[in-house]
Amino acid sequence: MNLRSGVMSAFAAVLFALGIASGALAAEKVKVGVLLPLTGSQAKFGEIEKRSYEMAAEEINAKGGINGSMIELIFEDDTGKPDVGRSAVEKLISRDKVPVITGGYSSSVTAAAAPVAQQLKVPFVICTGSADDVTEKGYDFVFRINPPASEYPKAVESFLKEVAKDVKTVVLLYENSAFGQSSSKSFEKDAEAAGLKIVLKEGYQAGAIDFKPILTKVKAANPDMIYMVSYVMDASLLMRQSKELGINPKLYVGGGAGFTLPEFAKSAGDAADYVYSATLWVDTLPFPGAKQYAENFQKKYGSDTEYHGAEAYAAMYVVADALKRATSASAPTPQAVRDALAKTDMMTAFGPVKFVSYGKKSQQNKLDTYMVQWQKGELEAVWPAKVATKKYVYPTPAWNARK
Amino acid sequence: MDVFLQTLVAGFLKGGLYALIGIGMTLIMGVMGIINLAHGQLMMLAMYVTFVLNTMGVDPYVSLFVAMPLLFLLGVTIQKFLLNPLIRVETILPENQVLMTVGIGMVLTEIVRFAFKSDYKYVTTEYSNRTFSLGNISFSVPLTIAFGIALLFTLAMFWFLLKTDLGRSIRATAQDKDAATLMGVNTGRITVITFGIGSALVAAAGCLLAPVYYIFPDIGGPFTSKAFIITILGGLGSTVGAIFGGVTLGLAESMGATYFGMEYEDIVGLTIFILVLLFLPGGFKRLTKV
Repeated sequence: MNLRSGVMSAFAAVLFALGIASGALAAEKVKVGVLLPLTGSQAKFGEIEKRSYEMAAEEINAKGGINGSMIELIFEDDTGKPDVGRSAVEKLISRDKVPVITGGYSSSVTAAAAPVAQQLKVPFVICTGSADDVTEKGYDFVFRINPPASEYPKAVESFLKEVAKDVKTVVLLYENSAFGQSSSKSFEKDAEAAGLKIVLKEGYQAGAIDFKPILTKVKAANPDMIYMVSYVMDASLLMRQSKELGINPKLYVGGGAGFTLPEFAKSAGDAADYVYSATLWVDTLPFPGAKQYAENFQKKYGSDTEYHGAEAYAAMYVVADALKRATSASAPTPQAVRDALAKTDMMTAFGPVKFVSYGKKSQQNKLDTYMVQWQKGELEAVWPAKVATKKYVYPTPAWNARK
Repeated sequence: MDVFLQTLVAGFLKGGLYALIGIGMTLIMGVMGIINLAHGQLMMLAMYVTFVLNTMGVDPYVSLFVAMPLLFLLGVTIQKFLLNPLIRVETILPENQVLMTVGIGMVLTEIVRFAFKSDYKYVTTEYSNRTFSLGNISFSVPLTIAFGIALLFTLAMFWFLLKTDLGRSIRATAQDKDAATLMGVNTGRITVITFGIGSALVAAAGCLLAPVYYIFPDIGGPFTSKAFIITILGGLGSTVGAIFGGVTLGLAESMGATYFGMEYEDIVGLTIFILVLLFLPGGFKRLTKV
């Protein structure tokens, strides 16, 4: 009798435990869809962002998740192609029923995915895709954390105005992609407004082996400044071949993207020295958690992160913050999350986030940009002066005058 | 004038490498009548071999002697165990060997991604950025070396095809497989060896490209299509044609880059490709007797 009741009670206890566990499991997940290029030629950045999302989600879950429920990230691979990105967003919304989507790496994929999210009324928090027009269409379900491409060179403009006053002529080299064209067009406009003369403007196809043909023309134009919008390995080849040809402008400036990555300096070697770059983030910026994020990333994955990762990391916190405010008794609905996102006003490792309307833009976060310079293989923040870690070296020493 | 000459030099140097990539594909095309759509991916593998050896301190040019035999063996294995068995299988698609090479290319890419991640790798040597100049024209040292070695391999290939028994058997198989079989050529073995040689040649191109370029798993695709264009330009199966095709593509890209704008680099190459298809079907082979 004793034995029997013992077995019965044990059985009941197991049932009870199972009941709690299954009930709890059902309630304790909040799905978040993440659209990133995980294969294809952009997979490297997709990977940095994926890891940053995962790191942020783990930190948030460890601190109690979304009011007690855990965040579950559902990654969809856009392969860097707009049509794949579109169907990935459709899948996240219709099959996985996520209340919010984030991610969006390349400009063209983001531009294709945003209208889908808008049409199906699920909020899309963009972390990287930077083509200007994405937030110029009045979509009320689309939010963007990173500045649009046209604002990347803001810091460069102020540097030119206050330090490099003798720069008069500029050569503009850009990758022939949505991002490259958007950035170069706006730089061109700003440069002309600042009284600079664009003596040569050349696009190129990403992944080229040999940049000598355009660099020969650059050398013939002999400009004061060379402004390049390139991803990491094109950037490295451009600098290596500029060194080969001995092109000596007063300033080499990279417009965002590749010039800030550690791979750029490692693969270009000494050809990377003194190159300036506009950037959206460096880990030395005085934002809470910035340094810590970079250190934790390095510790956890054994490789360095950069501004793309910081964007993703911050995006996860912004989404989690909105979800917390949108979740009351019931699971969060897309509409409630959208309304919560619109009221976002918080500090992240990437800087302050608040979605505002200005100019033609709506629901766009407004941020400063920065100038960094490679000095002896280290990336130093040099401009604006208030965040500088080292003083800038200007003008750039000629190749044959370097040790 | 300087700009023109510099463009010419850049085009020629790049064309030499392209020729080496194209010859491998055209050999395989000639003997087996299929386009090997994993060609660029085989080159990618050779580049990773170069990279791994370089981390151990081996010079990229020395790694030629490791990468070429390795890729030869891989090519032999692919032909023997993956492509030859397909000949015996009846399917509704006549070109199922070509489809197989597409699959092989994907598998190779993903295996490499699994092993090395998507990170960019690079092989830096002290001569990676070195140049010498003649007058006002600068020559990149590694590209010039690459051009020289590519030339050497091409000449060796010619000697092999024209003067050796094995080379003659390969040519016989390319010209008429049935007749070659009747004359006592073991055509099954010839296809296996040819795929091996084609892979080894593109491996050489990979090793030569490594010091001046960078390496990532998806690098194969663009080079497969370049090799394809070169093969069509030269005329399917023609070794001389592949050299012409390679140099033409290199020159066209450089000239296009200088005089139309570098964003049209690929367009110039592809326009020539279409023009050749329209007005010279059969490629440059038609203009020569070889």
